[in-house]
Amino acid sequence: MIRVDPAKCSGCRSCEIACSFAHSGRVGRGLARIKVVKMEGEGLDVPIVCQQCAERPCLKCPEGALSLGPQGQVVVSPTLCTACGACEKLCPTGSIEICEDIPRVCDLCGGDPRCVKKCSMGAISYEPGGGGASQAAHRKEAKGLNPEGRRVAHAMRTTRELRSGWLAKRTKTEDGS
Amino acid sequence: MSLFGYAGHVLRVDLSSGANSRERTDPALVRECIGGRGLNSRRLYEELPRDADPLGPENMLLLGVGPLTGSTLNSAAYTTVSGRSPMTGILGDSAAGGFLGPEIKAAGYDQIVITGKAPKLSILVIADDHVEIRDAQHLRGLDIWQTQDAVRRELSDNAVQVAAIGPAGENLVKYATVACNNNRMFGRTGMGCLFGSKNLKAIAVRGTGAVSIADPLAFMKECDEVERLIMAHPEYDKRNHLGSTLLMKALNGLGILPTRHFQEGVCDWVDEVSGERLAEHMKVKHKSCFNCPIHCSRYYVTDEVEAEGPEFETLCSYTSRIGARDLGFALKMNAYLNRMGVDSLSSGETIGWAMECVQRGIYTADDFDGLDFSWGNTETVEKVLHMMIHREGIGDLFAEGTRALAQTMAQRSGRSGERYALHVKGLDIICGDPRGIKAFGLTYAIASRGADHLRAEPFFELTERYDEAENRFGTRDAADRLSNNGKAQLVEYSERQALLTDCLTMCKNIGLSMDVIDFPAAARLLTAGTGMSWTEEQVTTALRTVINSERLLNIDFGMGPEDDTLPERFTIDALPEGPSSGQTVPVTDMVRDYYRLRGWNEDGIPPGLSGEKS
Repeated sequence: MIRVDPAKCSGCRSCEIACSFAHSGRVGRGLARIKVVKMEGEGLDVPIVCQQCAERPCLKCPEGALSLGPQGQVVVSPTLCTACGACEKLCPTGSIEICEDIPRVCDLCGGDPRCVKKCSMGAISYEPGGGGASQAAHRKEAKGLNPEGRRVAHAMRTTRELRSGWLAKRTKTEDGS
Repeated sequence: MSLFGYAGHVLRVDLSSGANSRERTDPALVRECIGGRGLNSRRLYEELPRDADPLGPENMLLLGVGPLTGSTLNSAAYTTVSGRSPMTGILGDSAAGGFLGPEIKAAGYDQIVITGKAPKLSILVIADDHVEIRDAQHLRGLDIWQTQDAVRRELSDNAVQVAAIGPAGENLVKYATVACNNNRMFGRTGMGCLFGSKNLKAIAVRGTGAVSIADPLAFMKECDEVERLIMAHPEYDKRNHLGSTLLMKALNGLGILPTRHFQEGVCDWVDEVSGERLAEHMKVKHKSCFNCPIHCSRYYVTDEVEAEGPEFETLCSYTSRIGARDLGFALKMNAYLNRMGVDSLSSGETIGWAMECVQRGIYTADDFDGLDFSWGNTETVEKVLHMMIHREGIGDLFAEGTRALAQTMAQRSGRSGERYALHVKGLDIICGDPRGIKAFGLTYAIASRGADHLRAEPFFELTERYDEAENRFGTRDAADRLSNNGKAQLVEYSERQALLTDCLTMCKNIGLSMDVIDFPAAARLLTAGTGMSWTEEQVTTALRTVINSERLLNIDFGMGPEDDTLPERFTIDALPEGPSSGQTVPVTDMVRDYYRLRGWNEDGIPPGLSGEKS
């Protein structure tokens, strides 16, 4: 899976652009399988991408179009998929989204992710065999949100500690300088 | 002919009637102006009534992006906002990075052309081909950050890109800004005031399209080369670490850091307010614009505020330029000005001017509603900013800009401080003392939007690349900041390179200061990107055409050769001390040489759009 470190991410979205271009020859956020959520009010930028979660709810595809590949990545069958949108609704982190009738989800570029190569901040890294964390606790919260809303919720959850660290450091700076 | 690169459409919105229409981007037109600022300036030249009141419904408000905006080309993210400037009365425009430009492209537009005036405060919502003018009266008085939040909440989409004004824009402060992504500012020439005059609180854009490239493999090859040049650049690490704030110490070292309103060029407390100190103590994270490998901006947290920025111009404007020595205060002001939507340079100049006038005994606190304009009085700074944003008391005059402020104060009191109003054509001088960087002096004098470095940013004169100077400009002196020789050549070249950067919608730090994009590379990028065939000559011709259109437009607005000058502070008073001590700018000679190189006559008049040469 792709490991994300929001403390390092500057929010430039180069990962999105590299992903979109590598998979389609065009550049657009909808075509990207990694999407950076930017929360300007909090100073946070979080790349959201399939974390290969323990539950894999997306595999409950009614058409049987989604399966797992050798690196644990989600593989979408173009012949079976009807773009019904079930996978998009089932993913609690907004890491699958249909664009131009194709579910866009990280395929790890076959083991050599372009986004990781492109990131000049070291904010994302490829971890073969990683993943497996449970997202079950967040499924209820995700209900009723669109994919962007789910990404924002996931981004907020995963950066709480980072934010409180900044605020703690602020107090220290004030005392120390 | 189908265009790649370009989104393919221009959106026209008339705020008075609420009507909107789409038209195809004209391939013959973009051949002559490429895109971005070029397309905007050309549109103004063709369509703007020359007698348009800058604050009237007949003025145009343009948002332009370029053929490569939102593509894989590093930093191709900028949007240019243009119109007749409410502040200067001549061409007004301002560009910002962030993430708005790529979204405009994704929504399907190369340019948004806004005319008229909404009957009540409104927001313009653009989601692909859905265009809607919505009531925004409930957003009145909200600052820029609150506005972006409210708009995103209202549209239930965090990915909407918002260009918004704050209270300053609503109150028609002449140098009000527009912001995208909260802290990326369209800062200069009062484009926020133009928004306000049209009752336009914000533009919200969401696009689901993608940028298509004519020859993706060839284009990628060119983009990879651009990225390689950036990453291998000797200044990469420093720029990535400090961004433009590196200039605090750099300019101080050259003796050209504006201190106490340009009376000095050396600030003895620079270490207290430097970019280095900011990075070490307050910065918590890098920030960057769309697709940029230089993560030059920063998010900072202090005990009072948190925000992105500041850039050098803001940092200097609210420290050394006004004699203040408190970094925390400058960071607080950065956040405040970003929220309220005020240009830090122009507001800082009004304050610096008042402080110098008080120091010289021209005015006293009695002339300024009792405010004590002693150097570095941060309490006064906060008070007068609040008054100017809300146009209260003397703040109402400050909100008109330094030129008008100095004129009105002189008329009222019979005592004139106009000599110390540091502007060209009504736009305040940026933070870089031209006496120690001569090509910058010429740039401020001739820039088509008034005193401004970004119209040419001849950073080359600071790089000590003497051999390259001889190659490009025929004299090694062009790389010597204190020399007057070769500077007209340097500015003529850099002005085209700056415009090219604006047309490709790249960052000036990359395209220009780091000298990464030249004309042959631009021709290759444009050819592979758009599918039109571009030669170096065609690129150069387009750039010259745009520069001449801007000039002709300004002449129509009443500008003459006498306006291509600098305040006496820079032409008569020599810098008193430091590494640029004793220097002035021989601006008249430089301007004359520049006209000649441009192919303009001695009155600075170009030959006209058709049949132009050189």
